[in-house]
Amino acid sequence: MTKTQSIYSLHRAGVSGTGIVDPDFPIDALNTAAWMPEGEARLGDLGLPEVSEIDVIRHFTRQSHESHGVDTGSYPLGSCTMKYNPKRNDRMAQLDGFRYAHPLQPPATLQGLWDTFADLQDALAEITGMDAFTLQPAAGAHGEFTGLLTIQRYFADRGEDRRTILIPDSAHGTNPASAAMVGFQCRLIPTTSRGLLDMETFRSLLGPDTAGLMLTNPSTLGLFEEQIEEIAAAVHDAGALLYYDGANLNALMGIVRPGDMGFDVIHVNTHKTLSTPHGGGGPGSGPCGVKSFLAPYLPAPHIRRDAAGKAFPDWDAPHSVGKVKSFYGHVEVLLRAWAYIRTLGGSGLRYATETAVLNANYLKARLADLLPPLFEQHCMHECLLSGGSLSVDAADFVKRLIDFGIHPPTLVGAGCVHFGPDYRTAMLIEPTETESKAALDLMIDSFRKVANEAAVAPFMIETAPHTTPVAKIVKDESAWLSVLETSDGSVS
Amino acid sequence: MHDNVHMGYDLQPDADRAAMLDAIGVATVEDLFSAIPKAIRLDRELALPGPLSEWALEREFRQRAARNATTRTHLSFLGGGAYDHYIPAAVDAIANRGEFLTAYTPYQPEMSQGLLQVLHDFQKLMSKVLGLPAVNCSVYDGATAMAEMAWMACVIRNKRTVAVARSILPDYRAVLDTYLAGRGVAIVDVASDPSSGTIDPNALELALSAGDCAALIVQSPNRFGVLESLGELCAAAHRHDALANVSVNPLLAGIARTAGAAGADIVCAEAQPLGIPLNAGGPYLGAVATRSEYRGFLPGRIVGEVMDLKGEPALALVHEEREQHVSRDRATSHICSNQALLALRVVLHLSLLGEQGLRRVATLNATKAHAFVDALCTLPGVSRAHIGPYFNESLLRLPCNAVAVLKALENEGIFGGIDGGRLDPSLGDCVLVAVTEMHSKQDMDRAKSAYARAIANALETEAA
Ligand SMILES: Cc1ncc(COP(=O)(O)O)c(C=O)c1O
Repeated sequence: MTKTQSIYSLHRAGVSGTGIVDPDFPIDALNTAAWMPEGEARLGDLGLPEVSEIDVIRHFTRQSHESHGVDTGSYPLGSCTMKYNPKRNDRMAQLDGFRYAHPLQPPATLQGLWDTFADLQDALAEITGMDAFTLQPAAGAHGEFTGLLTIQRYFADRGEDRRTILIPDSAHGTNPASAAMVGFQCRLIPTTSRGLLDMETFRSLLGPDTAGLMLTNPSTLGLFEEQIEEIAAAVHDAGALLYYDGANLNALMGIVRPGDMGFDVIHVNTHKTLSTPHGGGGPGSGPCGVKSFLAPYLPAPHIRRDAAGKAFPDWDAPHSVGKVKSFYGHVEVLLRAWAYIRTLGGSGLRYATETAVLNANYLKARLADLLPPLFEQHCMHECLLSGGSLSVDAADFVKRLIDFGIHPPTLVGAGCVHFGPDYRTAMLIEPTETESKAALDLMIDSFRKVANEAAVAPFMIETAPHTTPVAKIVKDESAWLSVLETSDGSVS
Repeated sequence: MHDNVHMGYDLQPDADRAAMLDAIGVATVEDLFSAIPKAIRLDRELALPGPLSEWALEREFRQRAARNATTRTHLSFLGGGAYDHYIPAAVDAIANRGEFLTAYTPYQPEMSQGLLQVLHDFQKLMSKVLGLPAVNCSVYDGATAMAEMAWMACVIRNKRTVAVARSILPDYRAVLDTYLAGRGVAIVDVASDPSSGTIDPNALELALSAGDCAALIVQSPNRFGVLESLGELCAAAHRHDALANVSVNPLLAGIARTAGAAGADIVCAEAQPLGIPLNAGGPYLGAVATRSEYRGFLPGRIVGEVMDLKGEPALALVHEEREQHVSRDRATSHICSNQALLALRVVLHLSLLGEQGLRRVATLNATKAHAFVDALCTLPGVSRAHIGPYFNESLLRLPCNAVAVLKALENEGIFGGIDGGRLDPSLGDCVLVAVTEMHSKQDMDRAKSAYARAIANALETEAA
């Protein structure tokens, strides 16, 4: 086991991983100084490594072996929906007709793109019960930002001064962060002991200043917000709007739609629900959907169909909030999402959801004696289990799972979810629908083995993992220096 | 029972499902959804086409793909923020590996050292290319990078005004407007000199001295392809106590001194030219770099060196207190999912190019662009719209309206460039032409004669 090495470790001056020549334009004969503004030409070296192609390939192939993906093994990271990413979608997304298309080509030369965008928008509208979609946002957080902007613009147009967004305390960190970027104030709503929104506080916070409530349903605790009709009515009675964080849409496809629950604005994380790969952290995509009264505010251009059904980008969008990124969105990601929807169809999407919920409840039931669920009711696509009765710290416990080839579930400080102090030992486990019963049984077995070991050899747990190229990591957050600059003073 | 033979992952045979339901203690899957009120349930199947077998899916996608023209079906001189550079097969070979493709953010560093090393090398390589030491793991794209960095400057300086060059790419300006409006940040415009195409020094002085600016935001090459005098601009910003925020084309670092070396405090870039396919506009990658003293203000993920239990060095995500999952509404940015896979592509691309390769490819871009622009300028009535220096893209003035010429070229299978009217309504007789290493001598000859014909025809039509 070796520690991973930087690509710089393979540097050999004079080696090249690619040949750059054109006999018609001899490079050596060139004199860039002739046109470069004075002083702007670079004289010294930048400091890039020089590595041969085979060394590059071997190096990064090795590094891939020291990475864990859904293709490598189970990845029950709660809230992240690490489902299998079908390979066919990759092939579709990389077809020449999309890969080599330039975004500023004359729109009529991108008909396949517009048609696919329009179809995907329609499909998302059907799945979520919304009226109109934009595919421009780059990720979930970006979809939140976009959706909140439409809310802000809507109230501005109505001359209403509403500046507060209500957010449950269990909300993902991007919710309050996006709200702040749009210029809203955030007020937090506590969670009841049953894991649901505290209605009393919610009602007391709701007022003429409230622009909206952002809700994830099922919540980041894996529970369906049963009072959703009442919540929606209260929000609308107060003249505010209801925002749906679609990160957990995988629990609901074909069962219930956010639009039918009363949500006015939503985003969908294609990299969760629609199986587009997470890419080591991205790129994702965060299409934002709205009810028709908000449609004019979506980012420009709006992709519409003409009378003949032909899709086109419509720049005539005077009420649009503007643009949230360059061009039209993460096309390559969106193509995968469309391929996924096309492959499964309506019945397949529902089946995926049912299986995701079945799998989560199966894990919850089988692990209950070891890791009692925090909430009694059935969970949705993920379950929140307590590590409180383990003989070791939950954070240590999950590290040992790594030795069994399992990515630890989401915990406070390890994963993307924010849990309050009450859930310090809680694990959010999301198996997804693409784990077979055999894979789940293996996962359950591994949890049990670790628990047994914890009782007899806690040291093995506390020092885990043992099979990785590095031992358990101890973060020393004071060490900024080591982050970006090496000791020899050069930039690292 | 669902007929899911098509989807390729009908994983649970009926017997397994029955055993699972049994373990849970319910009779049907339906029972698990009992918390959802009946009144709001969908009482029908989703009205979507399909399902489709894999070959039928591929047939449909191929039909769609065929309805797009591309830079492969056409000879293209399109740029404007996205460039058709060659991407070695080795980049795709690694970037498509499932271990990277299907991983998420390396929250568990012990099992993600490979991915963390890639991201750490990304930071390292980009710090060289952008010329400043502190780099994060990416933001969404070049435009959002500029917007995020504008806000970062406002936080650092505790001011709520920024001076912005009018000559930044139109989409960048649009995104900047969207991002800054909510933060209550005012924008002071800085005009360009119509003859040079670079920032007008008088306008700059005026803007900086009038406003109490957190930053001067410029782009080089700018929307006209013209290179700004970065050294002077950064010095001017500093004279007025503003940070210098510079957006660059990272490929230019192959031959030009970096923006950091020119004095920028914050550099951002669209890294698409470094190994990322055009993809009809995305996903691309926004790279950002800043001085060490401002690193605590950076948005997004940062990978750093830490220790493991044995005291050995290892890599992990660090300083997460800056980020949304810790700071929530006090975070400078909301970014969570980012462009990690594209960061891998950039690392691969730069590793394959290396020091000399980057210099050679940048040189080739510049040489070819200058050769093509010079050739077009021999046509009657064609000239550069600005006298300022350029890299691989330049705005050319035509003796006629650009739209007709571009249309005629398209009919010959050529995307001749971007209509100047997109950049500024007063530039309707201009085209923005981008050239990369991929254009051959023959391509240029062909395009030149097509331009000659198209211009002649357009002039004739205009005269008639
Ligand atoms: C509940 C929830 N909301 C929002 C997000 C943010 O999405 P993204 O990472 O795509 O920006 C996530 C995922 O990370 C999430 O789990």
